Amino acid sequence: MIKRLLIANRGEIALRIVRACRELGLESVAVYSEADARAPHVAAADRAIAIGPAPAVDSYLSIPRLIAAARESRADAVHPGYGFLSENAGFARACDEAGLVFVGPPAEVIATMGSKIAARTLMQAAGVPVVPGETPDDQTDEGLRRTIERVGLPVLVKASAGGGGKGMRRVRDAAEIMDATRAARREAAAAFGDGTLYVERLVEQPRHIEVQVFGDCHGRIDHVFERECSVQRRHQKIVEESPSPALSPAVRARITSAAVTAAGAAGYRNAGTIEFLLDGVGDAARFYFLEMNTRLQVEHPVTEAVSGIDLVRAQLLVASGEPLPWTPQSLTQRGHAIEARVYAEDPAHDFLPQAGRLLLYREPRRPGIRIDAGVVEGGDIPVYYDPMMAKVIAAAETREAAIARLASALREFPILGIRTNIPFLLRILEHPRFRAGTVDTGFLDGEGAVLAEEPDDTPTAAMRAAVAAFRGDLGSETSSFESQTPNPKSRLQTTADPWSALRAWGR
Amino acid sequence: MERPASVGTLVADRFRVTRVGNGVYRVEDDGRSELVYVAGSANDQWVFVDGRVFRGDLGDVRDRPRRSARVDGPQALTAPMPATVIKVLVQPGAAVKKGDTIVLLEAMKMELPIRAPADATVKAVHCRDGELVQPDTTLVELE
Repeated sequence: MIKRLLIANRGEIALRIVRACRELGLESVAVYSEADARAPHVAAADRAIAIGPAPAVDSYLSIPRLIAAARESRADAVHPGYGFLSENAGFARACDEAGLVFVGPPAEVIATMGSKIAARTLMQAAGVPVVPGETPDDQTDEGLRRTIERVGLPVLVKASAGGGGKGMRRVRDAAEIMDATRAARREAAAAFGDGTLYVERLVEQPRHIEVQVFGDCHGRIDHVFERECSVQRRHQKIVEESPSPALSPAVRARITSAAVTAAGAAGYRNAGTIEFLLDGVGDAARFYFLEMNTRLQVEHPVTEAVSGIDLVRAQLLVASGEPLPWTPQSLTQRGHAIEARVYAEDPAHDFLPQAGRLLLYREPRRPGIRIDAGVVEGGDIPVYYDPMMAKVIAAAETREAAIARLASALREFPILGIRTNIPFLLRILEHPRFRAGTVDTGFLDGEGAVLAEEPDDTPTAAMRAAVAAFRGDLGSETSSFESQTPNPKSRLQTTADPWSALRAWGR
Repeated sequence: MERPASVGTLVADRFRVTRVGNGVYRVEDDGRSELVYVAGSANDQWVFVDGRVFRGDLGDVRDRPRRSARVDGPQALTAPMPATVIKVLVQPGAAVKKGDTIVLLEAMKMELPIRAPADATVKAVHCRDGELVQPDTTLVELE
């Protein structure tokens, strides 16, 4: 069994892993950059090692510094969290070479699944559906027409040599084939010096469905159901849920079984996620392998909420050589869970990331709500890292109840001192298409883009009244967060005579 | 439009305010109450009520000067945080409209457009593609 675990990450996920260590009786070792010396994950761990300057490339992304920190703290295992080096095969290999247990899959599996082409080839060979597509050997107009007919309309014709939308054409009707392929070829040749075209089935209004898989080193691989993550902004997931409102029981059975096949073909161990594109809804829906994430996901708590499984605890047990800590028969998907990611960003100004001090930060506490956060009141949000501050996860009997519970919790989650996306999250949760469960991955960048606008920022009279009292209290306190216990004198004044502050303000 | 001074009277007549915690106020209005969270300083407050956030000086009873539609005199656009310049989208002498993206930065893994605050002419460009910029570095001067 692992005895001392180095956590090669920061923020909420580092705290999440520290808690799992506590429950298992393992010692935890945090690492931190110069910007994070006072961060909550450093305070929470049993030990903490400084690993370098604030920029991630000199600290959280530095393999030599992390391996040195593991040696210095005499850790016997490393958990990479998500992001940073979690999907870096070189880091997994460096851990192996240093005699450290890497909590994740083998390095060669990370490398294979990290290559889109290698992963696609492997999945096709295993019979897992991939988005139909090919680069025709015959690149003439006629050759492309035959390929398009074989792949099936609608298709995307795109430059084989590059991305970025250059040389890309949608073809929905057979009559458009000639013009579209010629235009795509011209653009591809101009942009990349290579007019070779690739033809791919166009999935209209795709939904993002992913399946949690888990393998142990005794040859067993289970799935722990699906999550739907179609609420995305520029490929950034914002709201995730389980079960998916788009899956029928028959499609759920097929997609989860395909995920287990995919993980088996990859020789997978530990926690991983197979991402699929879903085309359509109900029994007629088709799904295609998109990619595999060879790590724990940000949104793992929704799976924990519906299954009752502690995925991080299971990761540590499996990495220690133990079998999966459940039986397949005992796995159930109960009720509904939804997660909203709280970011330090300003939706009204192009989602500008916010950095600064949290003057006030109060998490709501209520049944069915879990909050995984990496920040505290009075703490600073540094400019160097991802602006996600917290995840709010609501679990309830039904989807409708989970949405209501999540919205209610967000309305009681005051964060002051920096802008957050909470008002934007609330507008998403209130949108009729989200409520109906019909959001596809293009929603927030298209029809839903208006949700980023702040509709009304006029302060209410009640806000002004509270500010008047606050300004009155400022005289007897140094600042609102430095004095953690209410000043008895100030409370006496405001409660006994709430008007004293107001009068002072009125003049 | 309601004059800010009259809001003060309205407040005093209608609301009961009780401090119930550090930065937390219960505001009662004719028997209905809501919790208002306040932080900040005497002339810059952050206020949260029911999922909505307001930032500004709520104690300031003067009318704020309206922003003119055109930049008055030279104005520097600066980097709000350490960032990498992805692309400079203007050249000196170019006419820009309010809201036009002038420089595209990347920080904290996000694209960050720096936009024209008003109609203006580009006076000078002080950054180039790929450059790392520090907070408050002048990127572009407008006039």
